[in-house]
Amino acid sequence: MPEQAAHRAAIVEYQHVSKSYATAKLPRSAPGAVNDLSLTVPAGKICVLVGPSGCGKTTSLKMVNRLIEPTSGRILIDGADVAGRDATELRREIGYVIQQVGLFPHQTVGANVAVVPRLLGWPAARQRERAEELLALVGLDPALYRDRFPAQLSGGERQRVGVARALAADPPLMLMDEPFGAVDPIVRERLQNEFLRLQAELAKTILFVTHDIDEAIKMGDLVAVMQAGGHLEQFAPPAEILAAPASEFVADFVGADRGLKRLSLTRVGEMALQPVVTARAGDPAGEARARTFADPFPYLLLLDPSDRPIGWVNQRHIPGTGTLAPSLATPMSPLLDRRTTLKDALSMMLDADVQTGIVVDRAGRLRGVLTVEAIAAVLRPSADPEVIAAGTSGAGS
Amino acid sequence: MIDWVWLAGHLDAIVYRTWQHVYLAALGVAIGFAISFVLALVAARYRLLYSPISALAGILYTIPSLALFAALISITGFSVVTAEVPLVMYTLVILVRNIVAGLDGVPAEVLEAADGMGYTRRQRLWRVELPLAVPLIVAGLRLATVSTIGLVTITATISDAFGGLGYFILDGYHRLTFLTEMYAGALPSILLALGADLLFVRVQRRVTPWAQARALEANS
Repeated sequence: MPEQAAHRAAIVEYQHVSKSYATAKLPRSAPGAVNDLSLTVPAGKICVLVGPSGCGKTTSLKMVNRLIEPTSGRILIDGADVAGRDATELRREIGYVIQQVGLFPHQTVGANVAVVPRLLGWPAARQRERAEELLALVGLDPALYRDRFPAQLSGGERQRVGVARALAADPPLMLMDEPFGAVDPIVRERLQNEFLRLQAELAKTILFVTHDIDEAIKMGDLVAVMQAGGHLEQFAPPAEILAAPASEFVADFVGADRGLKRLSLTRVGEMALQPVVTARAGDPAGEARARTFADPFPYLLLLDPSDRPIGWVNQRHIPGTGTLAPSLATPMSPLLDRRTTLKDALSMMLDADVQTGIVVDRAGRLRGVLTVEAIAAVLRPSADPEVIAAGTSGAGS
Repeated sequence: MIDWVWLAGHLDAIVYRTWQHVYLAALGVAIGFAISFVLALVAARYRLLYSPISALAGILYTIPSLALFAALISITGFSVVTAEVPLVMYTLVILVRNIVAGLDGVPAEVLEAADGMGYTRRQRLWRVELPLAVPLIVAGLRLATVSTIGLVTITATISDAFGGLGYFILDGYHRLTFLTEMYAGALPSILLALGADLLFVRVQRRVTPWAQARALEANS
């Protein structure tokens, strides 16, 4: 069975789901309540539920694997109501990651990863094989980590094992409740990036809970902003949430710097790059000098024989005769690649105190340059990158 | 001071009484553990019952053993039952509390992870909660065993047929404090208690390598 589930992603639908914790004393909106939630998570997408604490995001998540039962409404996975499923069987088909990880302290890392395969009765050899495969997948050398106990791991390593464990039976759906919340910001950033890279291959359907709007924007293909009382305020791709907040609450929640946040959504590869005057080391200097003076930009970019940037040469420093020596160039612009976010690109340029970043391909060859002005253009409210239109549309069901 | 001739002539008796001591103590702890285990599982599952169960075990613990022997002899006679009932009773308070504390000590996130991954209630108890409670359960067994080894000596007051090494202590006392005989009872029983203590430390390390890993990590 698990074999057939491989590389399949599920569709999750909330249909008018409510959870009430109301009692005689607390008649309405106790923390964690959910109010008439309807939304559809398309297959293979990361949907982030975000909101302040008590907004019902974790409750919404736990109703999917029936750790919490809704008061009313239905949750469908691939069209089948979860209420009709045996709860333990259902849970074995859904990956589950929580903030405190909850590794079993008495089992080795390998045994922890193989928990669900063991529950499903896989043969021992296959459990072991799968555990090793997954440890490698999350960047932990199986030979080094398989036989350790959770107490011997760092916080970041524990989170990785938690993710590996959730992936063990190759579930079509993963529920992640603040999965990177318990580690320091540097480790969190790294785990987020690794997870996004992993997800690009695995294409699972993922429901992801966080209280951190930056994390939501970074991780989500779709973001559901929830408000206290369990109201869904907006359900849209992150770019749309930033560009057009549906309510004052959403605008407040994403913060006054939402323009800046959009920078972390756009990557260098999506931008139109500018050409620049270039010459190879060893080329005749006089001709290069003439071309540089003809261009409004007063610098020449010197390249090595494989088109890899060496550095800038000020037009006034280009000799009139002879050839261009590599020593003329000052390597002062940061090198960007297609995957660098505009936020990181801008930050690198500001750090280097320059106006221009050099964009290179994987082999380090020049693709063009990106200027601070080009990035600033993205910040203007009228600038509406196609990301929005390209994203998955449609809130509700 | 020490009557070596008496010792040499009673080696067989000392060996016999030592084995009897071990037997009486082991039987008491084993039965006590079986009862405590069931009570603790019930208390852990139905929290409301924990207080009454724990209180009852506490009250049993306060009953003086000599009074209990006297009362039991009228019901169960001079049988091994009379000797074991108090021994078993006194283990309950230690064992029930330790087993329940062990189960309570399982971190909430571990339970949540177990539920979320699809453990049934029974699988969670046997494969997650009880293994994690082992350090406290063994600690309870260790304490119960050492205290039971001490208590076995007073079963000598029921009749000569019981008491293990306590027989020598009581007999030596009755012979107007014949010290050699009293030592012959007291010293081996102290050694038994120490030996049991060490044995449980060993067992503990053996069955919970993960807890050792944690301790090492905490010290480093």
